Amino acid sequence: MENEISREALKLIGVEKQRKYVVTKKDIRRFAQAIGDPNPLYYDEVYAKTTRFESIVAPPLFCHSVAFEDVSPEQLPPDGSPVEADVPIPAKRMVGGGSVFENYIRFKPGDTIVVKAKIKDLYTKQGKSGLLYFIVHETCFYNQNNELAAKETATFIKRI
Amino acid sequence: MHVEDSVAMGTKLGKFVKKPDLKQIFMFSAITWNRHAIHYSRERAISEGLPDVVVQRALIGNFLAQFLDQWIKDVGDVQRLEWKVVRSAIPGDTLTCTGVVKKEIIENNNKLIECDIEMVNQRAETIAKGVGTVRFYTR
Repeated sequence: MENEISREALKLIGVEKQRKYVVTKKDIRRFAQAIGDPNPLYYDEVYAKTTRFESIVAPPLFCHSVAFEDVSPEQLPPDGSPVEADVPIPAKRMVGGGSVFENYIRFKPGDTIVVKAKIKDLYTKQGKSGLLYFIVHETCFYNQNNELAAKETATFIKRI
Repeated sequence: MHVEDSVAMGTKLGKFVKKPDLKQIFMFSAITWNRHAIHYSRERAISEGLPDVVVQRALIGNFLAQFLDQWIKDVGDVQRLEWKVVRSAIPGDTLTCTGVVKKEIIENNNKLIECDIEMVNQRAETIAKGVGTVRFYTR
């Protein structure tokens, strides 16, 4: 069947990868600059102390900064796309489709982020220009107290 | 007056404009360690049928989160954001975010507001749409 996803690919569903990072003021500042957010909450300690957070905190979707595994360039597919979507399917061109991001606890400098990531689902749909492959990837972000701070379910779309 | 005091079904969230350029797309790829060539190689992007280097799905999400964040100011937080990219955004685009309040939920003494949100480009073509939920803290 044309839209059948191979057993090899399906075996990747649920295989969890885990890694850990420590959040710094620099990480937060650079992320805020990259998204073009001038909110002093991300840069100015004196201001941040006057807020309910009482400290610099990270922007709501800051966990995007650690969502992709930092593998070496040689481990990436030829187009450089993230390994999170590197599954054995007969499609090469990839774009980001969409996302559901849940945000429970804002990270602060000094916090640890424990990332637990896995492919949640693989499926196909017929698109206007051919078959589309959907890779649903779930990433949970825990803090040093093992509390779920954020969770993202991202969908990547691949075309032949 | 706090934002949540003036929120009712159908309330519009105003407009929020972002103008991503090549530099911002590059910076976002760098900070997220995204090495996908469609975000830095125009040649590669076009060869894959895209109009140009494209703005990342995650950067679009961050623009939408920023839109909600500046609306609620410091009395709440973005709790959930769901978005779907329906068209590529490219460097030089003017991206306008809008939203409308859809639902109010009370949970653990906190008020949650669910909003339909949309991002369009300078030609009024939809780039992304979704639902944002903000949580207002108890005063």
